[in-house]
Amino acid sequence: MKKALWFSIMIVILAAFFASSYPDGLEKVIGKLGFIKPAASSPVLLSDYHVLSIPNPNLSTLIAGLAGIILTFGIFWLTAKLLVKR
Amino acid sequence: MHIPNGLLDPKISFGLMGAAAAVLGYCFAKVKAAVTAVVQQPAFAAVGKGIKSLVGGGHRALTKLGEQKIYLMGMVASLIFAAQMFNFPIGHGTSGHLLGGVLAVVLLGPFAGTLVIAVVLGVQAIFFADGGLLALGANIINMAFFGTLVGYYLYAGLRKYLSEPVSIGISAWLSVVLAAFACSIEIALSGTIGFGLVIPAMFKVHAVIGIAEAMITVVLINIFKKMVPLPEE
Repeated sequence: MKKALWFSIMIVILAAFFASSYPDGLEKVIGKLGFIKPAASSPVLLSDYHVLSIPNPNLSTLIAGLAGIILTFGIFWLTAKLLVKR
Repeated sequence: MHIPNGLLDPKISFGLMGAAAAVLGYCFAKVKAAVTAVVQQPAFAAVGKGIKSLVGGGHRALTKLGEQKIYLMGMVASLIFAAQMFNFPIGHGTSGHLLGGVLAVVLLGPFAGTLVIAVVLGVQAIFFADGGLLALGANIINMAFFGTLVGYYLYAGLRKYLSEPVSIGISAWLSVVLAAFACSIEIALSGTIGFGLVIPAMFKVHAVIGIAEAMITVVLINIFKKMVPLPEE
């Protein structure tokens, strides 16, 4: 379990520094062909994989990514723990 | 291909939320049945717990293997979340990232895999504003249903004739293209971009992203299987 989580953390670290910031496939298609501009979503805590209050973009993405790992793994971990207790 | 808010017609958004709820409800029931077992209570323990437990005998409880399976789902969810952050350039100022549907179902099976992708999409929409909340139903149908659950049946079908890595690669490519196709149909039906424009444009870019999806999926499955011994079904 630990190995797998460290592996995810390693990928987030790499992503924080090396991920491409170009628009993804769908964003590109909308940008090129769409005549409706998608509504700007109201900023949430970790919008666009950045922590709003951290100015350094790499660090900001890194922290956001780690939060994402904790959230995604945590949901399942908590579910299992609660079910075992019952 | 996370659809943002404001791109889809509200009728389509809400309709797809209903469809997504139905798909996830079915998957949830399947996973629940797989990770729990009926615990037969000894007769003396059942006394005083009502007639139902006396005649029916026991309730469903999480099994040891079921608990391991849920942790495994969490590990795969975090892996896919992390890998989806890693956008890679595909030329023409465009990037792509892993979808992870076939990755999830090869490691977890069809129903647990679909739930995992849906949870990742939910976390992304709620906490990261990646994919609109209103479009979450559409994103779940595109990526968790077509890209993952249908992806599993494509993989299982191909696996009868082809080797494991080849089946994974082809089904991973197909799953991305299929999800992109579903996404195009929804956008066109919403009147945002015409059918004739959006379908070829989405196909072209996701046919390329799909090649990366195929390679990354094969590599990550190999690494993951070496790190975490999968429980025998």
